[in-house]
Amino acid sequence: MKPLNTIFIVDDDPIHQQITEIMLDRLNITNAVSKYSDAQEVLDYLRSYRNDPSQLPDIILLDLNMPVMDGWEFLDTFQTFRGTLCKPIRVYVLTSSIDEKDQERVSSYDFVNGYLTKPLTNDVIMQLAD
Amino acid sequence: MNDAALSQVLEDIQDGIAIFDMDCRFVRVNKVFAAECRRLYGADIRPGISVLSLCEAYPQWAQQWLYHCKRALAGDSNTYVCSIPNVVPGGAHHRISFKPLYDEEGRVTGAFMLSRNVSHELTFYQDMLNANAQLHQVQSAIDACAIVAMLDERARIMRVNEMFCNATGLSATALVGLPFSQIISQVESPCDVNDIWRTLRTGKTWHNEVIYNSADSRMIWVDATVSPFTTGDAKGGYLVICLDITARKQQEIKARENEQFFRSVLENLPVGLHQYTPDGWSVDLNGYMRDILGEGHLAVNGLPYNVLGDPINRHNGLNAMFEEVIRRRVPVKKEILLKYTEVQNGAVTRIQPAYYEATGFPVIGQQNELAYMFLILSEITEKKLAELSLEKSERLLNNIVENLPIGYIQFDNFGFIRRVNQTQRLFFGNNVNGEHEDAYNMINDPFAKLFELDQLFMQVLQHGKMVRMEKKLDFSLDKDWTKTDREVFLDLTMFPVYDPVDKDQIVVALVNDITDKKRQEIENAKAQEFMLQTGEIGKIGGWEIDVPSYRVRWSPQTYRIHELPPYTQMSMEKMGTFYSDDERARVEDVIMECCQYGRSFDEQLTLVTARNNSIKIRMIGRPEFRNGRIVRIHGVIQDITEQFQIRDQLSRNTELMSLFFDTIDMGYAVMGQDGKVNFINKKAEEIIDHEAVLGNNIFEVFPWLSGSTFHSKLSECIEHRRPVSFINYLPQTNKWYEFLLAAMQDGSISIFTRNVTTSRRMQRELRKANEQLLNLNKYLVNQNKQLEDFAHITSHNLRAPIANLKALMQIYNNTTSESERELYINMQHDVILNIDETLNDLIEVVQIRKDLNLEREKLSFSERLQRIKEILTVDIETSGIRLTCDFSDSPDIEYPKIYLDSILQNLLTNAIKYRANDRSPMVHFQSRKVDGGVMLTAEDNGVGIDLDRYGNKLFGFRKTFHKNKDAKGIGLFITKSQIEAMGGNILAESKPGKGTKFIITFRPE
Repeated sequence: MKPLNTIFIVDDDPIHQQITEIMLDRLNITNAVSKYSDAQEVLDYLRSYRNDPSQLPDIILLDLNMPVMDGWEFLDTFQTFRGTLCKPIRVYVLTSSIDEKDQERVSSYDFVNGYLTKPLTNDVIMQLAD
Repeated sequence: MNDAALSQVLEDIQDGIAIFDMDCRFVRVNKVFAAECRRLYGADIRPGISVLSLCEAYPQWAQQWLYHCKRALAGDSNTYVCSIPNVVPGGAHHRISFKPLYDEEGRVTGAFMLSRNVSHELTFYQDMLNANAQLHQVQSAIDACAIVAMLDERARIMRVNEMFCNATGLSATALVGLPFSQIISQVESPCDVNDIWRTLRTGKTWHNEVIYNSADSRMIWVDATVSPFTTGDAKGGYLVICLDITARKQQEIKARENEQFFRSVLENLPVGLHQYTPDGWSVDLNGYMRDILGEGHLAVNGLPYNVLGDPINRHNGLNAMFEEVIRRRVPVKKEILLKYTEVQNGAVTRIQPAYYEATGFPVIGQQNELAYMFLILSEITEKKLAELSLEKSERLLNNIVENLPIGYIQFDNFGFIRRVNQTQRLFFGNNVNGEHEDAYNMINDPFAKLFELDQLFMQVLQHGKMVRMEKKLDFSLDKDWTKTDREVFLDLTMFPVYDPVDKDQIVVALVNDITDKKRQEIENAKAQEFMLQTGEIGKIGGWEIDVPSYRVRWSPQTYRIHELPPYTQMSMEKMGTFYSDDERARVEDVIMECCQYGRSFDEQLTLVTARNNSIKIRMIGRPEFRNGRIVRIHGVIQDITEQFQIRDQLSRNTELMSLFFDTIDMGYAVMGQDGKVNFINKKAEEIIDHEAVLGNNIFEVFPWLSGSTFHSKLSECIEHRRPVSFINYLPQTNKWYEFLLAAMQDGSISIFTRNVTTSRRMQRELRKANEQLLNLNKYLVNQNKQLEDFAHITSHNLRAPIANLKALMQIYNNTTSESERELYINMQHDVILNIDETLNDLIEVVQIRKDLNLEREKLSFSERLQRIKEILTVDIETSGIRLTCDFSDSPDIEYPKIYLDSILQNLLTNAIKYRANDRSPMVHFQSRKVDGGVMLTAEDNGVGIDLDRYGNKLFGFRKTFHKNKDAKGIGLFITKSQIEAMGGNILAESKPGKGTKFIITFRPE
């Protein structure tokens, strides 16, 4: 029995998606990994399955720097309807930015569970499973 | 009357009636009686029953009945009240009358009983008794503390109490019957009798405070009430009750008077007084303070005002003062510049600072807390301005004194030196720093005594008059005072001055070294004396001219003066050649006049000798008559060059003042009070740039001066007889001048003025320099921002692929599977390609930023666009984009070629890349001249972009907004970099779904 059911990776960099998926698989902490390059798609998905706990992910790993809709916009919109979800979803920002301004800004969203910088390490991933 | 009639009568009577026989048996009872007995006692009374038989059952009343009945039967009429409690609420009360009944013979045959129910009457009476008792208590209580009188309906006194007697000093007997108005007429305070009656007539109570003089002539205040009353018998009257409130009233009045007194004192204090709460809120202020603050002030209008919160008070120091008051709890005094006031001076309104001495002090409450703070403001503007103006004048005067070209020494009235100027120190040739000056005393100094300078000093001091003399001093005799080791001649001026500050007489000595001049004079005198003594008239030659032949003869000395060899042939024409044209005409004139009219002459002329030396000569000519006719003129010619030089020198010395004032770098003029200019130095003439000022009225020469600041300051100087200094701008000359006006003893005004335009200009230039610095700063901030952007880009866009590499390394190392490892190596390869691409982009950008000095050349927009079209031919054809352009307004631009090409290419590529699929793509390029620069616009009908959403990132590095695979987010960033590197800017206007317009402004060269 794996500790987590589903993890969503939201990132426009396909290589990063692939690497993260591999690392998550290796550590056996989740049953499934879904990869998205378009944040809007994720929002639409979450909205449509808001009442179905089996379809909702346990964790979202969110990149900040993305075309069309970036991580900030995702957080802003997510904030408006996360209360209506039938199951709590943990959101982690996963970015290459080590800019303090970005960190501060992320910490202003109190529902975001953590600010992780790329690359992910096994230690960090194991902590996600706890 | 028969029995039936009697029965009917009895039944109609509304009182109970019973008739008894001699055995006290009821013979007859009426209906009322029977009903009452039944109702009240439950007794059934019928004729035939004996009262006796009732006694056992109803002892309460039956026995009484029996007793009274028997008395009636014995012939005694009697009446009594029978009260039976508790049978009904309040009890039953009957007035019962028994009377004997007689027959014709007068014998008693029976008894008659009448019983009237008096229950109601009795309760009322009881209440009345109670009320009466209470009333008595009230009355005695009132009598003990109040003055009471009862008046009848016509307001005459019916009854008075003892206090009323005491108050009026009259006995009760004397008072009763007096009209009350007579009492009132003796009352002190305004007390309108008519008002009292008017009030009472409406049935209301009259109430007021009244003062009267008591019997022992004290002022008594009473709280008086007059109320009407009516007695039961419809008779009316009035009740007067007065309470003595004198003690309270006196206290009240005293307090009010005290408060009024202090209030009026505070209100009328000639200083501003303001009361604040401990946290600075305005509580109260007096009239003077209101004047100071002005009508618009919050506190004056009774609005909440906090002195500590007023930003003005941070600047003028009031805040600091109050903070000290609060902290130290002691009064604090401070001089502040509170505001500026307008001063009307003739037609000129001037802004004048208003200075105040501010005193803040705390009022400590009983709990040792700060209860209030007070602020006292007293105006000291006059004093302060006088101080300032004095300081300013003093500075200027000091400056003048210090730089006078003649020596200046100032002594106090004890002969001690107070001040020496630079010129004097240099003249003395010693300690320029003035080390020993303090020790010198004019009266005791042996050297001064030797030359009687001390006497001169005393003379000036005692007579208060100026002394001017030439004095010969042998400085070699003095060792302490001067290092000048020779004999000197001094033009010495000493005059007394009254020091207005110390109220002392002081003496000023002006010392002018005239040694050289004096020597020359003496030398000259000596020489002349010598010549006279030897009998030779030095340098004087003779000449004669025959009339009418005009033959000229000269003496040898005359030839010497002309520096000609003796006996050279001479003629009138030749004589003339030694003079300039003007002078020759004059010489010929005077000679002709002398020849024709016999007029003698004595002329001073300039002569140019044969050796070309210019000398001054004096030529004297006289006619000789023979037989009444002029036959010859003759005379002398004298070389007076030296004399002339000396005189020149002399006249220059006598014009010392004007010379001095001409040499100082300051305009100086003396003007009468009417404006007539009596003296003006060169500098001043230069300043006003007008020659016809001397001797004229300045306000006539320069009418625009009337009503000017200068005019008002001049009036101020004349009026107050004190120096006035100010700085003024004269628009006529576009210059700033500093003026010092000083009233002199004779009433005329000295005017010193100095051009301060340069220093003013310097201030302005300083300001300009400041602005430039500010701009530079802005530029640097901008540069910094760009650097920051760049740092951000590198950290962001390079970190991402590096992080990927790191992760790939990690998972590579964690596996042994060859196939997996191969996958990772391939992925690493992709990442490295990505890094390479990013780096190339960055290098391109860095290149732009480095190429700041790229050469500009004249480029034609249409040519460059043509070139780009060629490069992008394939893209243009595949997309089918229609490209139009209009460069007619500004066909050319000075710009680096590669940048313009790159910009055009990016704009065109963008239009192609982001075209809309549902319409045929178009893009329009246009150039226009704007404000000296060139504006290039590129407008397409493509997909557009939501600027509200992406506006701030549009030109960012690697920012993309479309799900377009070609989008790299580098083109616009480079375009922007290229434009900004050359000082221009780029903007975008767009509507999603409609198209985008890029607007580029190239910086004008």
